[in-house]
Amino acid sequence: MCISISDTRYHDVWIVVPAFNEASVIGDVISDVRSVFDHVVCVDDGSRDDTGDVALRAGAHSVRHPVNLGQGAAIQTGVEYARAQPGAAIFATFDADGQHQVKDVVRMIDRLSSEDADLVVGTRFADPGVVSRTPLLKRLVLRSAAALSPRSRQLGLTDAHNGLRVFNKTVADGLNITMSGMSHASEFITLAYENHWRVTEEPVEILYTDYSMSKGQPLLNGVNIIFDGLLRGRLSR
Amino acid sequence: MNWIQVLLIASVLALLVFLLRSRRRAKSKAWVKVGYVLFVMAGIYAILRPNDTTVVAHWVGVDRGTDLMLYALIIAFAFTTLSAYMRFKDIELKYARLARAVALQSAQVPEQR
Repeated sequence: MCISISDTRYHDVWIVVPAFNEASVIGDVISDVRSVFDHVVCVDDGSRDDTGDVALRAGAHSVRHPVNLGQGAAIQTGVEYARAQPGAAIFATFDADGQHQVKDVVRMIDRLSSEDADLVVGTRFADPGVVSRTPLLKRLVLRSAAALSPRSRQLGLTDAHNGLRVFNKTVADGLNITMSGMSHASEFITLAYENHWRVTEEPVEILYTDYSMSKGQPLLNGVNIIFDGLLRGRLSR
Repeated sequence: MNWIQVLLIASVLALLVFLLRSRRRAKSKAWVKVGYVLFVMAGIYAILRPNDTTVVAHWVGVDRGTDLMLYALIIAFAFTTLSAYMRFKDIELKYARLARAVALQSAQVPEQR
């Protein structure tokens, strides 16, 4: 990245990084993000290693769950922390395992401001030419998840389970993720639909390293996600 | 009266006492308590005159009273499981919010560089 920290363009941006047992990679990921963005909050989701300390040393604000709650809960915590910071106007969720790229976030922020959107979701599947070597089985499952989800279809989204999202204060203030586990991605989309947030997609490249593949969720988890989605409306919030 | 009937009636009555004494929000649980009493009365009747359940079973097209009881039990069990699951999810959410409040209070800010 050729933009220096002193660059003030992104002073109102907060990057939320949920992390669980990522001590070996979190330092590099935070440093990489911090090369462009000043404000990073890492939510250590009750890790058994020193993820939170490493993130703090790398320059991130560190918020630690006393127990492991799940990625959805970590994102909600990070957003609640970030939206309370003075001057915070733009927020991004960014996975801790190094599969996302900072340049994609920069492009998504530009789209958020230029297109008058509330929420920009990253997609792996926008253009077949740049499909980021997503493994075939994973691609099939993710595509059918998007096709099966009525909300994703109505909003015209192709990849609801992408961890890369950029959104404004309206979305941050209205965000109330109740699915602590991996079902939060669909819940995010449902919230966007219910709250009439203007959503758009931006093609991003996912780096499938051996590390991020080993940390990824098993595909069978899709069953849980569909089940949680059906029950969601029946739970009090 | 058989010994098994004495045993069953005693345990049903013990259950009733236990349930009625549980102190939850009085008003909202009133109908549930009426339900308990009705359930216990029907239970004692069925224990004393087991053949009468067969009569009821015939009304709805089931051969034996025991079978009817089994079907009712399966349905009741499914409902109980589902409501326990929902309650569990509710508590999980409260737990997450509590943990979040703790986490946000002890947030650490990096040294400025």
